[in-house]
Amino acid sequence: MTWTLALPELVLAIAGLVILVAGVLPKQETFFPVSMACIGSLLLAAVLVLGQPEGTALGGHYVADDFSGFMKLLAIGGAAIGILLSLDYNTKEGLGRFEFPLLMLLATIGMMVMISANDLLSLYLGLELLSLPLYVIAAFNRDSARSAEAGLKYFVLGALASGLLLYGSSLVYGFAGTTNFDRLADAFSADSGVTAGVVVGIVFVIAGLAFKVSAVPFHMWTPDVYEGAPTPVTAFFAAAPKVAAIALLARVLVGPFGDLAGQWQQVITLVSLGSMTLGGFAAIGQRNIKRLMAYSSIGHVGYALMGLAVANDVGLRGLLVYMAIYVAMNLGTFAVLIAMRRKGRAVEQVEDLAGLGRTDLGTAVWMAVFMFSMAGIPPLAGFFGKLYVFLAAVQAGFWTLAVVGVLTSVVSAYYYLRIVKVMFFDAPAGALDPAPASLTVVMAASGLFTLFFVLWPAPLLAAAQAAAAALLG
Amino acid sequence: MFVGAIFFPLLGACISGFLGRWIGDKAAQWSTVICMVLAAICGSLAFGQVALSGHPVTVEIVTWMDVGGLEFAWALRYDTLAAVMVAMVTFISTLIHLYSVGYMSHDETPSRFFAYLSLFTFMMLMLVTADNLAQLFFGWEGVGLASYLLIGYWYDRESANRAAMKAFIVNRVGDVSFMLGVALTFYVFGSIEFDTIFAAVPQHLEDRFGGIPALELIGVLLFIGACGKSAQLGLHTWLPDAMEGPTPVSALIHAATMVTAGVFLVCRMSPVFEYAPTALAVVTVVGASTALFAATIGCVQNDIKRVIAYSTCSQLGYMFFAAGVGAYQVAMFHLFTHAFFKALLFLGAGSVIHAMSDEQDIRKMGGIWSKIPITYAVMWIGNLALAGIPFFAGYYSKDAILEAAFASHSGVGMYAFLCGMIAAFLTAFYSWRLLILTFHGAPRADHHTMEHVHESPAVMLIPLLLLAVGAVLTGYIFAPLFIGEHEHGFWHGAILNAEHNHILHAMHEVPAWVPLAPTVMGIGGIALAYVFYMLAPGIPGRLATAFRGLYLFLLNKWYFDELYDAIFVRPARRLAMVFWKTGDAQIIDGMPNGAASLAVGVARGAVRIQTGRVANYAFAMIIGLVVFVSLFLIGR
Amino acid sequence: MGGITEMTIGLAHYLTVSAILLVLGIFGIFLNRKNVIVILMSVELILLSVNLNFVAFSAFLDDLAGQVFAMFVLTVAAAEAAIGLAIVVIYFRNRGSIEVEDISTLKG
Repeated sequence: MTWTLALPELVLAIAGLVILVAGVLPKQETFFPVSMACIGSLLLAAVLVLGQPEGTALGGHYVADDFSGFMKLLAIGGAAIGILLSLDYNTKEGLGRFEFPLLMLLATIGMMVMISANDLLSLYLGLELLSLPLYVIAAFNRDSARSAEAGLKYFVLGALASGLLLYGSSLVYGFAGTTNFDRLADAFSADSGVTAGVVVGIVFVIAGLAFKVSAVPFHMWTPDVYEGAPTPVTAFFAAAPKVAAIALLARVLVGPFGDLAGQWQQVITLVSLGSMTLGGFAAIGQRNIKRLMAYSSIGHVGYALMGLAVANDVGLRGLLVYMAIYVAMNLGTFAVLIAMRRKGRAVEQVEDLAGLGRTDLGTAVWMAVFMFSMAGIPPLAGFFGKLYVFLAAVQAGFWTLAVVGVLTSVVSAYYYLRIVKVMFFDAPAGALDPAPASLTVVMAASGLFTLFFVLWPAPLLAAAQAAAAALLG
Repeated sequence: MFVGAIFFPLLGACISGFLGRWIGDKAAQWSTVICMVLAAICGSLAFGQVALSGHPVTVEIVTWMDVGGLEFAWALRYDTLAAVMVAMVTFISTLIHLYSVGYMSHDETPSRFFAYLSLFTFMMLMLVTADNLAQLFFGWEGVGLASYLLIGYWYDRESANRAAMKAFIVNRVGDVSFMLGVALTFYVFGSIEFDTIFAAVPQHLEDRFGGIPALELIGVLLFIGACGKSAQLGLHTWLPDAMEGPTPVSALIHAATMVTAGVFLVCRMSPVFEYAPTALAVVTVVGASTALFAATIGCVQNDIKRVIAYSTCSQLGYMFFAAGVGAYQVAMFHLFTHAFFKALLFLGAGSVIHAMSDEQDIRKMGGIWSKIPITYAVMWIGNLALAGIPFFAGYYSKDAILEAAFASHSGVGMYAFLCGMIAAFLTAFYSWRLLILTFHGAPRADHHTMEHVHESPAVMLIPLLLLAVGAVLTGYIFAPLFIGEHEHGFWHGAILNAEHNHILHAMHEVPAWVPLAPTVMGIGGIALAYVFYMLAPGIPGRLATAFRGLYLFLLNKWYFDELYDAIFVRPARRLAMVFWKTGDAQIIDGMPNGAASLAVGVARGAVRIQTGRVANYAFAMIIGLVVFVSLFLIGR
Repeated sequence: MGGITEMTIGLAHYLTVSAILLVLGIFGIFLNRKNVIVILMSVELILLSVNLNFVAFSAFLDDLAGQVFAMFVLTVAAAEAAIGLAIVVIYFRNRGSIEVEDISTLKG
């Protein structure tokens, strides 16, 4: 029975249904136990992923290899920490309803399906299973106009994007005669040339996926949704789904469309250039720190896509390493943002961080570590993420990408360092409330990773290397 | 065990630094101490296995970096040279940690202090166990950084900040040369792994770089780097100022770590230096000159810690000229014994300062020996060892150095021998000057201070006593191993003596008066100090007036600081002013300002697209789609 | 019945209709200034065009996968519409309006 290969997803799905029932039945609110159960199931799924054999299953719709393992662990880790981050915030903001962690769990199943997709159909189903819960949790704060607007915007544009992706899928299906990735790859490897229909289809698919990773010019939803959604939701958005979408993009482009690399490379190059530039510049004037992080994440996606644009093993390794480091830095940063409360109210302006170095040194130091790392200052982890993609680009002769990458990271350093400056040199704007333990733990964990990645980069590099090799087949 | 010796200090630093606020100062202090004790145990075991049983190992930790053809593993190279250093560093550092618990008991942020201290130790261990030059450089810079943090630990003191800056900058000067040396090594050998380099030395004897023999150039460049770290003549100015840090820091910097890094580097690179005779001659001359020069200054200083600081400077000179005449083993031996008695002297001085309510001027001390007998006793032991009085640790190593210098039978060797002899005399003189002024005579401190003179707590005395035992015994016990008959089995090829280098044998065959001479010099120095400061206290003052020029010259440390100020600092500052006025204000500021306003302009533009309207967003997506489709179709 | 028309409806016709539906749907999203519900309808229109494509290709290729795909799309579209409407309801409760022009407080 080949379905056992998909055990992590199946277990997670069943766990989700059981938890749903268990969460509905009791009279009182079950937010906390449900959250814990969700984290537990995610960890169980992670263990199962670790023990997963390689192979394809479910009629060729599902594939498990080193690449899927790497990305799934990253996505599951991001999701589990995302739930952890929401515990305290949601309780204080009155969002402590059990549906919240459950929706995150369901979205995680969607991500895992996406990562393991080996067919346009499973790709679509995974993507929708990810998107639908995300629409809901973006609008989770039902009494906030901003949260509702964020949800609505995300929904409308997301539906458009998945419509485009589907349309592209249908064209690819029609002109290539199959939806299975392996057979698509076979079809394109023949020298018969590709028809215009397929080409248009591929662009549509890329557009649909680029929306999910919020790459220029499909990024427009990102700042608004990041700003409007509750902060733990933003933290979740910025980490796990991005990993899954990047994984999917890499798998689709390198797998079935691998032989057309010469054609999609220039599109990805353009997308990468645009994202880096926008990410570097647009965040400069931002005052809302969540919005700033949105632009920052657009920039980071640009750097990561640089690795995909190179489209060889070195580039893909760079991409994977970058994503892993990005997720770690981002979760840490958002742990700080979620901890930003003053007199019981959540605050989210850059100025609210003023004087944090004097009022709460620990948090300020971690935040500074994350900002330096995001700016790519050695020897922090962010520097190595950039180093690996830049080197790949230079080696493969993508000079434009590398040069623009360096320039925009210099520009973006400006706004990262501004935050550090505000924290340590501006007059305090009143002390923030002390951070709860769950957030401090996340800050410290990702902070230590960011700080000491330089000492033990080899395991991550080796895993990324294996994953990239698996993807290139 | 091998890994533990290196990483327990880091663990301690992390616990104290990151968790210090939560677990409290007491817990943070003791956790670093415990980590250091564990490291010291590991270090001693490693010493036993590597050096005594003769099983050098290389522990590979991870492939550290694999970027663009430059691949190096992160490994711990445990040969005898490293094992000696690890054992010594962890042991001394443990005692200093313990001592600091007492010494820093009145400080406000002890967890920060202990974190720095452990970090410093870790970096030093990183340096000595490096198996390639990059890792060594990492430790090298790490030590520099940690020393900056420690010297400037009392950051609210202006002088501490200045001293920290000075140490940092002077070290940078050396580092530039060091980096050039590493780059040249990579250029010549195509590798920075020690094993590869050492194996390839014979093939590169004739290599030239810019007309100069490459090995000589590498040797000289690395030595200048070593001068910066080890405070040799010319780059020594930071060391006395570094006394601004808390006393345990001085002990750590001057005894076990940091300053010994330069000597270690020269010994580590012995396979290269052996084939670079000119570089070795430079090392000898600079070392010998430093030994004499620092000793002369030590005679007239009045700050208790500065006197000891100059003596360190002088002793490092000894080590360098020992290495310079090819007796690396002897240099390492002196480094080893010196670590014990110099740590003892500094911690003893700390104990005196503690007792005298933070007074450091020996002119304001005196007559306290009966009140702090234990400190007094250990200071005696430390000074006896430093002066090279027979059967104390310093006797064995210093004698061996002078014998080696004499036995080298070369011009520079004789120069070194002479300088060393005079310095030995001066060393004994200023040591007893220090001892007498501090402990004997009539009390010169005010009444209030004298009432408070008290012996230090046990937590400070125990390290002192342990170090005193070391200062007495290490010479006798280890001399046969380091430089005596068991030398060959002990070092196991960690240090290379080339075919033509027979110094270790020759030094045992010098005329009979040579081994005796340093002792005579030492006793003479002590006698002179007795005459000057006990029997006829008027003489020094009269001499100072009679030879006022000389006295001031020495008191002002040969005017090195003033010279540097005039040659480098002031012109640099003037140049900086010019750059600042014209360049910075108009060009440099202009460009970033222009770039910044451009960036802000672009940012405004980018943000203006973000109208907030769903329709516009969808429109942008569709436009993007259309552009990509057309690009695809055209590019097809 | 009439039986005299020579014209058969081929794949190209289906694709053309579907493309027109897609363009209508897309334009519906960004030209519409009035009502969010219209946007929901436009999304459905896009999905409809996709389904038409799939079914047409499926018949043309004589391959069932396309029709299966279409079934899945229909199912997911229903779920998507339900969630979309729910979000619109929340939005209306907060703002008292579902004017498209009003959905622009988050910007910059």
